[in-house]
Amino acid sequence: MALSRRNFLRYGTAGLAAVAVPGLAACTSSTATTGSTDAGKTALWYWGDGLSDKVVEAAKTQFAGQTTLEPTKVGGDFKQKLTTTLSSRQFVPDITGIKGEDMANFRANADQFADLNELGFKDLSSQYLEWKVKQATTADGKVIGFPIDIGPTGMFYREDVFAKAGLPTDPAAVSAQLSTWDAFYDAAVAAKSKVPGTFMVINAGAIFNLVIGQGTKRFIDESNTFIGDQPHVKAAWDLAVKAHTLGISGKTEDGSADWTAGISKGTLPSVIGAAWAGIDIRNNAADTSGKWRVAAAPGGPGNFGGSFLAITKQAKNPQVAFDIIKWILSPEKAAENFTDASLFPASPSTYTSAALTAGDDFFGGQKTIDIFGPAAQKIPIAYEAGADAAVSAPYFNQLGNVEQGKNADEAWAEAVKEAKQIGSRQGVK
Amino acid sequence: MTRARSLRASWPQYLAISPFYLLFTVFLLGPTLFSLYLAFHRWDGIGEMQYVGLDQFRYLIDDGTFWLSVRNTLVIWVLSTVPMLFMALVLAALLNNTKRFVGFYRVALFIPNITSVVAIAIVFGALFANNSGLVNVTLQGLGLSGIPWLTDPWAIKVVIAMLMTWQWTGYNALIYLAGMQSVPSELYEAAKIDGAGPVRAFFSVTVPMLRPIILFTVVVSTITGMQSFTEPQVLFGNNSAVNANSGGPGQAGLTMVLYFYRTAFGQNDYGYGAAIAWAVFLIVMVFTILNWRLVQRRAD
Repeated sequence: MALSRRNFLRYGTAGLAAVAVPGLAACTSSTATTGSTDAGKTALWYWGDGLSDKVVEAAKTQFAGQTTLEPTKVGGDFKQKLTTTLSSRQFVPDITGIKGEDMANFRANADQFADLNELGFKDLSSQYLEWKVKQATTADGKVIGFPIDIGPTGMFYREDVFAKAGLPTDPAAVSAQLSTWDAFYDAAVAAKSKVPGTFMVINAGAIFNLVIGQGTKRFIDESNTFIGDQPHVKAAWDLAVKAHTLGISGKTEDGSADWTAGISKGTLPSVIGAAWAGIDIRNNAADTSGKWRVAAAPGGPGNFGGSFLAITKQAKNPQVAFDIIKWILSPEKAAENFTDASLFPASPSTYTSAALTAGDDFFGGQKTIDIFGPAAQKIPIAYEAGADAAVSAPYFNQLGNVEQGKNADEAWAEAVKEAKQIGSRQGVK
Repeated sequence: MTRARSLRASWPQYLAISPFYLLFTVFLLGPTLFSLYLAFHRWDGIGEMQYVGLDQFRYLIDDGTFWLSVRNTLVIWVLSTVPMLFMALVLAALLNNTKRFVGFYRVALFIPNITSVVAIAIVFGALFANNSGLVNVTLQGLGLSGIPWLTDPWAIKVVIAMLMTWQWTGYNALIYLAGMQSVPSELYEAAKIDGAGPVRAFFSVTVPMLRPIILFTVVVSTITGMQSFTEPQVLFGNNSAVNANSGGPGQAGLTMVLYFYRTAFGQNDYGYGAAIAWAVFLIVMVFTILNWRLVQRRAD
């Protein structure tokens, strides 16, 4: 089995192909899913639990006279598949879901989508949260995404651990006492000294992310200028570093085995996250049912995630597509979307519906809408550029390094330098 | 004329081999050439491509994160390949002298290789969890202190290397075994007559006879090891939605291909991603040539 030069070259080529190709090969596979080319059919792409399946089924019959609605649940990397189909202009769905974190990027390619304002969203806009609509609005006023759901933040906490730590246990009292980050840190330090091994912060990066999300500015401003070295980012950074220096950070990662163990055993008695984080807690720590409560997030509300429905430029009948979306995401149907798929409504009028005002046994019968409802309406409006996520990555990496013992000032300088570099690569000034 | 005739005469053969070349062209060659084209552009995957000349490669040279990913990859590769190939050789030698349950052992050795890497990585992630993992719980039970497997930059690399070793040792052992079985038994008999024990026979007969096969496994391990991706991606990839695929704390598990994936498909920076992919290609090629020269020379 001697290896000749010819064989060697062949292995070399195989290596090359394997390096260069996986991503592109992965893209091509998505064309197999149904998009529509026929008039009279309306293809809808969404992901599992992206909409209530029941509502989508009902929409099929509701619009049977006008079009054949063909919903497809697209699995895997949704953004990637949508990007591929849009760039190939083949099998493009008429209606597609867009996840909140990908909105900034698709908004930069707004010419691929219909302006919903022209189709009638203008008159409906006031029913939905302003900051949410803003996320899908381009600089010249086009709206490309119809809000599906949002992720207002709150603080989930273990009532039993808070009691042991001498902290208030009633949601209203917790919300009042732990309303600022300083107060939250004091409570975390107290909890750790009373009940050793208790960490109220998951990791420094999580704090950084929350604090940035509570502000009105991020890393890049509307004029596409880098602002990641400015005081609002440094303040968030310092607060995150403080969690590390105070020793209240568990230095673990969301969703890891240690995280699951922490929420089950109570060593991680507080989780500051979006409304949907409650589902993760419920799924991963089922036997702690009744011990959890929800309070307002320290430092004010923010938002994580939440999606949109958009109509592509290729849609044959944009008006019918819009009518379908309008129906599926109406404030009345939003309650069903919440019940079936835990989608927190983007329409405040839904917050008073029976589906949302019911008490939740997992949270000891608490009506969690009392916390998330007001939070949803107070979320600050911040401009998020397409390159925002890429530019923010170095800060998280460097905060991870700080938790491993790196000097915080050095880490800050490097984070800013790297962020600038990534930004300039993507055309940020 | 003869060429035309031979083409006409042998069309069934060409037809028979054509599926590979057609698929190769569509799914491998085409995308490869496209990625080269992409490396000279800035592209977000949908909008207009913008020609940027050599800018992407200039960024690459100054990009500390890229060089970190190169270092990570090399360290993980060495940490995995050396013990993997050594253990494979020993296992193959043992198996070669086994008389009973041979089929069972072979199947057992191959199972890790055909198990989904994702499944293995999830199990490893649970085993090596810092506070709740079986490994640390066992270490603490023995009175030792636990190791922060999934947060310490070195431990992260060790875990990834162990995962790769676990997955590929059996595969290499079976290749060695096939080679060992083709070594003529006269050589062993002659060695025995010359007074060589089993260890001496292993190093003086088996290893030299296996040299071409060892070369093959080294080259293949280089190519696969340099492209490690799934292991760190699953172990650390979906930890955090805001900073996905960062390779874990300190980016210690960020390999070259993971960095490429993160850049192109996570951050929609396809041009730069393509530039990284080509840099990876060059690096893999250089190391493969080095390996080849090294092992080949010793064989002469």
